[in-house]
Amino acid sequence: MSEKRKFYLTKEGLQKIKEDYQKLLKSKKLKPKKEAPPFLHSEEINAEFVSFREDFEYLESRITELEYILKNFELIKIPLEKERNKVHLGATLKVELGDEIDEFTIVGTTEADPANKKISNESPIGRALLGHKVGDTVAIKTETVNHTCKILRIKYK
Amino acid sequence: MEGIKKFKVDTRELSQKEKVLLDKLIQAVELIAPLYLKQKNPNYLGANFYPADATKKEIERESKKNPAILSSYTFVERDREGKLRAVPYHIKFEKELKKISSLIKEAAQLSSDKKFAKYLKTQAQALLTDNYEKSDILLLKSDAFKINFIAGPFEWYLDELFAKKYAYQAWIGILNKEKTEEARKLVTTALSGQRKILPGSKKINVSKIKARVDKTIVLSGLIAELLISSMNLPRGAKIIKKYGSELTVFEPALRLRFERDYLPIFRKIFDKKFQKIYSLKTLYQGAFYYTLFDEIAHSLIYYKDAEKRLKNFFYVFDEFFASTLGIKLLENLFLKGVISQKELESVLIFYICRNFSLRQLAIKKSDIAFHYQVRAAIAFNFLLKEGVIKVKGGGKAKYIHSLNFTKLSISIDQLSRILEYYLALGNYEEAKQFIKTYSSFDICRK
Repeated sequence: MSEKRKFYLTKEGLQKIKEDYQKLLKSKKLKPKKEAPPFLHSEEINAEFVSFREDFEYLESRITELEYILKNFELIKIPLEKERNKVHLGATLKVELGDEIDEFTIVGTTEADPANKKISNESPIGRALLGHKVGDTVAIKTETVNHTCKILRIKYK
Repeated sequence: MEGIKKFKVDTRELSQKEKVLLDKLIQAVELIAPLYLKQKNPNYLGANFYPADATKKEIERESKKNPAILSSYTFVERDREGKLRAVPYHIKFEKELKKISSLIKEAAQLSSDKKFAKYLKTQAQALLTDNYEKSDILLLKSDAFKINFIAGPFEWYLDELFAKKYAYQAWIGILNKEKTEEARKLVTTALSGQRKILPGSKKINVSKIKARVDKTIVLSGLIAELLISSMNLPRGAKIIKKYGSELTVFEPALRLRFERDYLPIFRKIFDKKFQKIYSLKTLYQGAFYYTLFDEIAHSLIYYKDAEKRLKNFFYVFDEFFASTLGIKLLENLFLKGVISQKELESVLIFYICRNFSLRQLAIKKSDIAFHYQVRAAIAFNFLLKEGVIKVKGGGKAKYIHSLNFTKLSISIDQLSRILEYYLALGNYEEAKQFIKTYSSFDICRK
């Protein structure tokens, strides 16, 4: 039997997903069931009709996806005081990666947004850093490249 | 038509008025090619920028008395008494530039985008004065225009004598919104960290880097001849420091180069089983990432006085360092989960294919882009040194059955550090020695 996938979410992330879910439900209600409006019906392939169906299908699949996440999420909590010197989900880190000093927060895949400094716990760097302490130089080994990353600071909100 | 490369682009998104405007600008772009062709001379290192009978020493000596001689915007000619004098481009090409300028002004009249109209008028004026600062600033301060139009002299490749004189180029294209959005996100992520610089060196910080991907319609001048697939502007550290830079990927040109140059190399040098691991889509994505990050890295690093210290070798180091740094930035994006493992591998494969492509240029003894050839040779020396690729003694290169990506990544990192040292702190003699040691084409001819 396949194991259920867990989605790790921050409080803000959970809030956003709930809001998105409600918005999508509203949009779905506004769409006239699964049928396209009569003016889009045609014997031939019609670009607007295709686009309508694609939008609808996307909407439905996104709703199903969010429902699944909302059933299988685990809230990321700030670790106990004695554990805060280690990297856990939700930690904001300052690291030395190659020739760069960088800062980012480790989040679950659902919330990952590297352009906004939110890195997935399932990314090579996320996976490698979890459980390590300030001052550790961590080897990030992948099939393609190997790098090291030094943890300079760990913060929890 | 020589010096012009056209691409078929869907222009249905443009209004009728915009299409008329576009036609005017296409004409202007095409009229830039003859200027470039007049600058070009494959039989002389200094192209047509300097009199063929002038020695390097004579030009250097005269430039001390008259700095305009080594300006990026002048031709050097002999006067009646045989003395060297500088003739500004806008004087030499007055008639041609007036025609181009009028077409741009006519296009400006048709634009309903006030900022774009202002930019076009400034561009039209810049061509008549050789002063591009105002139009560069307007471009950098604006959001990406729907139509991208650039014309002027801004690439030094033709001048292999001093690497000073700019060759005329122009391009026109329509913004590819989707790809531009993707590129901008990547730029933001890639630049989230702070790069350390070498102790003792002085770096010029670039205020911002704008990226755009174009559905290019016409390339004109040097970029058309070399089929250059990306470019960043403006030139000059001072303006970049204050206003940043804008990079453009000419997507149709990149796709053509990918299909025409890189894909045949990939199919030729890699074992069939290895080839099957990568889809065309992933390989092309690798080429796109490589190209984009080459330009990002280019905009990112400016070491103070590097150009003065390294003289005509500056561009060899600058161009090559950008591509190695680009790959390192992409490796970080892979570690952060932004790009996939196969995409990163495609970038690294592209690096090998690109160097093979530059190697072909070297063998053909192409009259332009000397730095490309040197760069290919250096890359090959390092690839061989690290055992990334193996070459049969005296025969043809073996098929590459599999790539040791880790070794390749280490080789690129080592090379990148060496190149950065020269840009940050190196002097001319050291740079010359490095090039002498590693730029032998003997390896490439094996």
